[in-house]
Amino acid sequence: MGGIYIKNKWLPYLLILPTIVMICIFKIYPIIDSVIQGFVSNGSSFTLDNYKHLFADKAFWNSLKVTLKFNIIIIPIQIIVSFIMALFVNVKVRGIEIFRTIFYLPFCISLTISTVIWQMMLNVNNGVVNSMLGVLGLRPVGFLIDKKWALLSIVLISSWRGCAYWMMFILAGLKGIDSAVYESAKIDGSGFFNTLFRITIPLLKNTWLFVLVANTTANFLLFAPMQIATDGGPQGSTNVLMYEAYKSAFKYSNRPRQACLVTILLVIVMLVCFVQNKFMTEKEANK
Amino acid sequence: MKLRKIMALTLVTAMTAGMALTGCGGSGNDSGNDSGSSSSDGGESSGDSVTIKWISQGTGEDGWEGITKPILEAYEEETGVHINAEFYTFNDLFEVIETKSAAGDADFDVMSVDVTYVSKYGSSGYLEPLDQYFNDEEKAKWDDASYQAGVWEDTMYAAPENTSTQELYYNKTLLDQAGIKIPENDADNRLTYEEVADLAKQGLKKLDPDGSQGYIGFDFQQVSRVYQMNMLANSMGGKNISDDGYSLDGVVNTKPWIDAMTWYQKLVDDGIASRGYDADQLGDQFAAGKVLFMIGGTWTPSNMTCDDEVGYTYAPCFEGHEDEVATSTGSWYFGINSKSSNKDAAADFIKYFTLGKGSDMWLEINGDVPSRLDKQEEIANNPDAPEDMKIAAYEAANTAVPRAVTPVFGEYSTALDQAWEDVRNGADVEEALNTAVEQFDAATAAYK
Repeated sequence: MGGIYIKNKWLPYLLILPTIVMICIFKIYPIIDSVIQGFVSNGSSFTLDNYKHLFADKAFWNSLKVTLKFNIIIIPIQIIVSFIMALFVNVKVRGIEIFRTIFYLPFCISLTISTVIWQMMLNVNNGVVNSMLGVLGLRPVGFLIDKKWALLSIVLISSWRGCAYWMMFILAGLKGIDSAVYESAKIDGSGFFNTLFRITIPLLKNTWLFVLVANTTANFLLFAPMQIATDGGPQGSTNVLMYEAYKSAFKYSNRPRQACLVTILLVIVMLVCFVQNKFMTEKEANK
Repeated sequence: MKLRKIMALTLVTAMTAGMALTGCGGSGNDSGNDSGSSSSDGGESSGDSVTIKWISQGTGEDGWEGITKPILEAYEEETGVHINAEFYTFNDLFEVIETKSAAGDADFDVMSVDVTYVSKYGSSGYLEPLDQYFNDEEKAKWDDASYQAGVWEDTMYAAPENTSTQELYYNKTLLDQAGIKIPENDADNRLTYEEVADLAKQGLKKLDPDGSQGYIGFDFQQVSRVYQMNMLANSMGGKNISDDGYSLDGVVNTKPWIDAMTWYQKLVDDGIASRGYDADQLGDQFAAGKVLFMIGGTWTPSNMTCDDEVGYTYAPCFEGHEDEVATSTGSWYFGINSKSSNKDAAADFIKYFTLGKGSDMWLEINGDVPSRLDKQEEIANNPDAPEDMKIAAYEAANTAVPRAVTPVFGEYSTALDQAWEDVRNGADVEEALNTAVEQFDAATAAYK
């Protein structure tokens, strides 16, 4: 009754071949093509001019600064909030599934729609948030039109939906921790915070690695909320690199510039992920 | 083991990034699919019948999608050619054209082209030259400004659907309630922007002293878009772009622009003009009876959704610049996709819509300013023609300032739209203009 013994050693490779081909065509090829386009001028000749023009462009440096600033703020916020949400919905009480569903619901709404809803709520003239501030006697805040607030508002809009998504991965990680470990800790007199920092967080190592890498990548490439809610403004304060690449491709028809931008973005994302990986691996080795 | 980890990490990163790279290509299509809507369920040729696919802007029954239906039906009835019209939102149309045309897509025949993009689409090879389809006699039927705006480097690429101009519209009902009377004025003795701002301020004081009613005193229908906002700078003698079409330095970082933007910023700071509404929303605010004065296009009265009475007069001028009155102009054009396999039929449809019965119907339905000379004369000589159309015809002929002609209009409008919006939201005027200059000149360096 054992499984089917496969004599042909090539059969497994044959079975995964369609997937490999698809990955090469739809994932690897566009990346290589994009990198090449950044070094090509007038159809075929090799050039560094595309990068030269890009590096001389203040809009590029500003969008790079905004991208880094945005990610430095949003990544820790999303991971910490998602973790707290996952801890909440991991408790064993009757009806907790309802809360899990409610917490996850934002992710079921399309990013475009949720951005438009938040845009209306944060509107300086008649948004519900400013109406509430008015009731409290506070002046209206230009959440999406004030340079001081716009990036933070985008972080809020993105996190409202994003945290629900990352929460599910962390929750899956929490579910994977053997309850016997917690019971032993309890018997040994470990308190909530001691258990949290010495047992839960370390045991989620693999989950952290995935969430960190995927969250970093997703947020570096995010631009829909900026496009819809602020159009990269005010004063370029929400103009991230990915939106600059999008505009280069579809508004300026400047494919080489777009190729340079996404290549730079790819390098940055990979570097950040390598650093994260190294940090996590070293932490493990030190233990 | 370590190498495997690094490989796995690289693959995850690269695959997610790959989604973004390919996603760039997908976005345009997606947005088109999301917001685009077709007026026809069909679209393919069947038997001997011909189907032309036209991509345009203005979704919904109140937009072009709804108001062009009788024209398309009449055309099909007359010629047997079915028009499969696909409508997108204003912004989405540019992305759809860019995505489809850059990919050499042949699945559409006719495209609506905003006048500012004629040179870009023409120089990029997206548009089929129209000189072979329109003879000199036909070309002479449009006013020269409208015809020339469809020409790039001596080649006609697009045919004018109509032109546009700006007037000062006001909500007469609200002004009557506030007891405000518009001073006598005419083409030679216009209201000034300063006077209009003052009247708007008085009106707001009476109608909405604490600001709780959400009234707007004086605003611009296409706020933060160069199409309309540039007329403020033009009205102080400012130019739109350098003569070669590739620079803003010494053009917008100049006194006329600084003065115009400073005046506009004060209008916003004083609470007379709005913040937070975009160009898609401001017209609706006027239509809903929430704006006292608005610079707008000739379609404004027909778009009213409330019962308030609308008044109109000539576009204002600035005090001390009475001889530099400027109004925005230009509108939508028709072009043929250079990859279309139905070019003759497409040209026939364009003629119908720009010179034939379709044009008559369009001008009647939409109330736009005609590009056709016979229709302009008809308005001028007809004592029964609506007064606002007579004003529009006068402005189009006497005060219209063509938009910036540049093959990099995307970069141009991005830089200056943002400058207008930033100034509206409190940015330092000179800093905003210098940023726009740097941004545009850096972007065009690659083309020089």
